[in-house]
Amino acid sequence: MDETVSEFFRRTILKIPLTEMMTILKTWNFLSENQLQTVNFRQRKESLVQDLVLLCEENHASLNDAALLDIIYTQFHRHQKVWDVFQMSKGPGEDTDLFDMEQFKSSFKKILKRALKNVTVSFRDAEENAVWIRIAWGTQYRKPNQYKPAYVVYYSQTPYAFTSSSQLKSNLPLLGQALTIASKHHQIVKMDLRSRYLDSLKAIVFKQYNQTFETHNSTTPLQERSLELDINMDSRIIHENKTEKERVQRVTQEIFGDYPQPRLEFAQYKLETKFKSDLNGGILAEREEPLRCLVKFSSPHLLEALKSLAPAGIADAPLSPLLTCIPNKGMNYFKIRDK
Amino acid sequence: MELANTLSQDGESRGGVLAHLERLETQVSRSRKKMEEPQSAPAVESALGTRIHELKRLRDKLRAEVKQRQASVKASTTNVEPDQTLEITEQEILKRKRENVKAILQAYRFTGISGKLTSRGVCVCISTAFEGNLLDSYFVDLVMQKPLQIHHHSIPVFIPLEEISAKYLQTNIQHFLFTLCEYLNAYSGRKYQADRLQSDSEAFLAGPLQRNSLCNLLSFTYKAEPEGQSFPFCARLLYKDLTTTLPTDVTVTYQGTDALSTTREEQRAAHENLFFTKPLHQVFTSFARKGDKLDMSLVS
Repeated sequence: MDETVSEFFRRTILKIPLTEMMTILKTWNFLSENQLQTVNFRQRKESLVQDLVLLCEENHASLNDAALLDIIYTQFHRHQKVWDVFQMSKGPGEDTDLFDMEQFKSSFKKILKRALKNVTVSFRDAEENAVWIRIAWGTQYRKPNQYKPAYVVYYSQTPYAFTSSSQLKSNLPLLGQALTIASKHHQIVKMDLRSRYLDSLKAIVFKQYNQTFETHNSTTPLQERSLELDINMDSRIIHENKTEKERVQRVTQEIFGDYPQPRLEFAQYKLETKFKSDLNGGILAEREEPLRCLVKFSSPHLLEALKSLAPAGIADAPLSPLLTCIPNKGMNYFKIRDK
Repeated sequence: MELANTLSQDGESRGGVLAHLERLETQVSRSRKKMEEPQSAPAVESALGTRIHELKRLRDKLRAEVKQRQASVKASTTNVEPDQTLEITEQEILKRKRENVKAILQAYRFTGISGKLTSRGVCVCISTAFEGNLLDSYFVDLVMQKPLQIHHHSIPVFIPLEEISAKYLQTNIQHFLFTLCEYLNAYSGRKYQADRLQSDSEAFLAGPLQRNSLCNLLSFTYKAEPEGQSFPFCARLLYKDLTTTLPTDVTVTYQGTDALSTTREEQRAAHENLFFTKPLHQVFTSFARKGDKLDMSLVS
């Protein structure tokens, strides 16, 4: 086995936490059960990795096998990457999309290889007729860098593709072109949507985040949220707060629904607007030029945090539509200009 | 001046005090006059006595009335019980009627399109089926507004919902629902056939079944007789019409290098025809049955 491939194996296996080692190796399904049984998984990690690399050599593992292992690792640790979303479109009046996965894969690979001689493209089929694509970029004169690959997740017969933010931005147009042509679309556009949580991005663009529907078959009535009120309070004060609290709960429920919100880490607003002030005069009010500023909201779970703002009394209900439109519009980057 | 002011400020109260004193004075003079008149004590006594009698009579009368009313109330409560039981049975009848209506509403699912009114409009449920098997249900929650809007839905992303709504949602909602129903039922049917082929006829497949999200392109390699000497055929089924569950294009090819014998060629053409006319999984069950027939012939 080539030394670079061997090293690639070593570094890839080293990344895997010991607790996941068995699961990932079994998913990879390259080393047989018998072979895995000969390995001592309790030894020091470095020695374990050495043993595993030796086994891979025995099996004449190729670069593609290593790439596959890398894909599996990334699938298990998809939150370690930041994902962008691209939207493709077809021309009007197109024929029915008869998507052939094998055709797509070969077309995609051909387009990249034609443009860049040095590129490694690997595929792994996933559930729901999707495919994970791993691309290691090289240049005219340099071999592909296996340690900075780009990933694309594409669900067949949908206009959306999810890509891990590649550090090599210059290859992005080529990647877009390959995706568009191989999937028989005409145009590709980058959406203003980005997050670590691939599954949340999918839920947002596929509009799968709200899946509660009223039917005659559901026996449980819509549950009323019980307000937790301090019983020691004066009864008159409770009544006054209660009506307002109920209103806030109702408005929040109308906007955010009862379902778990998709997970995003931030929302960013780029403002380029003239300063508006109630007070007459003031230095900023007289500027003709628009004010430029950036407002960024961050949270481990942004939408759940926004949902709890009004009930917690921190913000008025209803919240600004700029905040509540995020899943509906599929955007968490906004540019606001004067109309 | 000050004195006058104080007078005017406290004028009322002072006037009040003075007036009060005057009244007391007249009272005293009046009572003195009364005291001077000789009043017979027995006369007063008898007046009081008659008063007492009157009050006692009134009291007894009221007591008797109360007793009477209590008695009548008791009587009426005993009479009310049979009425209440009548009410209970009426309640039961209504309850049963309500449950009946509820059950009918739930059963509407089986018609394929059913709905429930919501606070903002209606939630339509499209229940798909194929060959008498009830398959997945899909929902469209509509908001009754001008223009009509879809609030949220569970239609898969690869079904052309946007196209269909652009054409029909605002103009002809019936057509919108029926078209959506067509697409979803066809998709469910194709998916059902592909799933059944993968699970039931594994023995016939020489490799994995290649499919896509819409299940409108299926590609697989198979043998008509799983254990037999038959050659593997490659089948490629295209469903260009998304509203149908049978393919529009079928190609069955032979994978070997040597030329096909005439019987094999006939078999190939026959298989192509079968795929055109029968649902996919049924084609394979017919292969299985033919295999059974062959076994029978061997035994006999």
